Amino acid sequence: MDFLIQGLGLLLVPKTLLVICICSLYGLFVGSIPGLSATLAASLLIPFTFFMDPVPALVSIVTMSAMAIFAGDIPAALVRIPGTPSSAAYTQDSFALTQQGKAEMVLGVDVVFSAIGGLMGAVVLMSSAPLLAEVAMKFSSFEYFWLASLGLSATVMVSRGSQVKGALAMCLGLFLSTIGVDITLGYPRFTFGSVELLNGISFIPAMIGVFGISEVMRNVMQGEMHFAVTRVQAGKIFQGTWKLFVRYKWNVLRSGILGTFIGILPGAGADIAAWLAYAVSKRGSKEPEKYGNGSIEAIIDSGTANNSCLAGDWVPALVFGIPGDSITAIVIGVLFMKGLRPGPMIFEQQPQIIYAVYLSFIVANLLMIPFGYLAVKTSSQMLRVPKNILIPGILMFAITGAFAINNSVFDIGVLGMMGIVGYFMEANGYPVAPIVLGLVLGPILEQNFMTSMIKSDWNLTLFFMRPISAILGTITVIVWLFPFLATFLEKTKNNSQGH
Amino acid sequence: MALGVFLWSMTFQFPILDDSHPGPSLFPRVLGTLFIVFGAMVVYSGWKSRGLKEATNPDGEQIPLNYFNPILVIILIAVFIALANKLGFIITGVAILFILMMKLRVSLLKRSIVSIALVCFVYLIFSKLLRVPLPMGLLGW
Repeated sequence: MDFLIQGLGLLLVPKTLLVICICSLYGLFVGSIPGLSATLAASLLIPFTFFMDPVPALVSIVTMSAMAIFAGDIPAALVRIPGTPSSAAYTQDSFALTQQGKAEMVLGVDVVFSAIGGLMGAVVLMSSAPLLAEVAMKFSSFEYFWLASLGLSATVMVSRGSQVKGALAMCLGLFLSTIGVDITLGYPRFTFGSVELLNGISFIPAMIGVFGISEVMRNVMQGEMHFAVTRVQAGKIFQGTWKLFVRYKWNVLRSGILGTFIGILPGAGADIAAWLAYAVSKRGSKEPEKYGNGSIEAIIDSGTANNSCLAGDWVPALVFGIPGDSITAIVIGVLFMKGLRPGPMIFEQQPQIIYAVYLSFIVANLLMIPFGYLAVKTSSQMLRVPKNILIPGILMFAITGAFAINNSVFDIGVLGMMGIVGYFMEANGYPVAPIVLGLVLGPILEQNFMTSMIKSDWNLTLFFMRPISAILGTITVIVWLFPFLATFLEKTKNNSQGH
Repeated sequence: MALGVFLWSMTFQFPILDDSHPGPSLFPRVLGTLFIVFGAMVVYSGWKSRGLKEATNPDGEQIPLNYFNPILVIILIAVFIALANKLGFIITGVAILFILMMKLRVSLLKRSIVSIALVCFVYLIFSKLLRVPLPMGLLGW
């Protein structure tokens, strides 16, 4: 209880409250502009967090991402383009309802159920993280090695499109993480004689490059987009929302839990939570024929799930230092930058910071109601912001942000290179999130493997000798074998059908 | 596909690197193997679906894409790296924004005002608020 009050004390400082308000507006703006994702918003935010105290730095990401994931629903409903990938699952349904003249209802549902989902996620985060942290206290390098492997494998498993491409992207991230002085012997690897590369690829410029510059490149390719925006009477958006809540309360509960659970899984983010909740919702619905043609039930389910997922994503990030998605990968980068090592120790040493993060989830989701109303009210203006001015602006912030971390133009080079890599990978159907996870988890993976090996005198069997390690190891191996098993099962099924 | 081949060529450098230390080379070697395996799988699946793709490529309602603009973004970043220390942050920043907005067809007056205002805004935030020593260049005194 003491820590809760201390956490509240850290949160209710004028400076932190100001950060919350600014980041809310920023998240709403970026989220509601199609083509700019929440991850981009987070990566542009890191240079600023670099100069903040730990609590406002973390809180800024919490509020920004919560607002951005909700705001992605606005263009989905109004112009049929999801603002962020997390709204893609129910864009069709949202827009269909708008065409039926129910835009106000859709947006009201988006605001309210995003907030409810976020609050549910926050409750799960608050109750499960400390318990898991106690388990995590018993972890040694063996367990951490498996956790990192599991995180990476899960990222590849859930990557959209080809899993092989996801795996290649992950390898690329891992490879980039090996650049620089090696951790066991201090041997410089892949530096090609460059002094700057000795410290490795800086994580922040790489992130801004992969997410920011590649999006800038994609956007300048398309030319100006003009939308016919449906006018919305913001005053009416909350009419009838309560009735819908009463009617679909079990859906909300189910999707909130599902979303949080997806979030806790390392590697799976809000977009996957939304798609899964959509599928589950359709299967359990009394009116499955409405799905795709304007089902409010679908929007309630997926909209709750994607926001509840956000808090879930923080569980593995805070407890184990294993990111739940690409935004929490950024969070882990920020934590390291602030000299905080994510993991169970943080719960013992600086619990007040953890409590401040918990509380910020609650504050952010409560603020979502008034701020969401504001965003809906100004939505037609926001969607008219000329992209040919906005995009150069993002470029400028990206370049300056990359420079600011180490005051070095070399990092701008990293930014450009990673931008090219990200751009070509996306253009060829490679997911980019695994690169980031590879880059963050690579050192954790290698360090824990090497420590374990040296500790055990190169005895590989020890990875399966400790109980928790054995369980994690077995799960990881099953995840690895899963694609082969699935193909095998499908083939046998086809064969038996053929006969 | 091109990327797959590119990664492949990279993997051939991996195993021969620093072979005298079993420690530092282990991880890159494992990665090298994975690159080869997954690269081969991508090449194989690309080769298998080659005919398929040509048949199903819908050329109809594509928006005309400008392939030069993304290259320009990279060129401008390179220009910034080359000139920022000499000319300073403000001049270089205004120049690259001006050029980029010209390509994106923003009117002369608008892009002059926006590029100067934006760079000054960014400069004030980073230099004054966050105390980042941005290079002053020609404007330095």
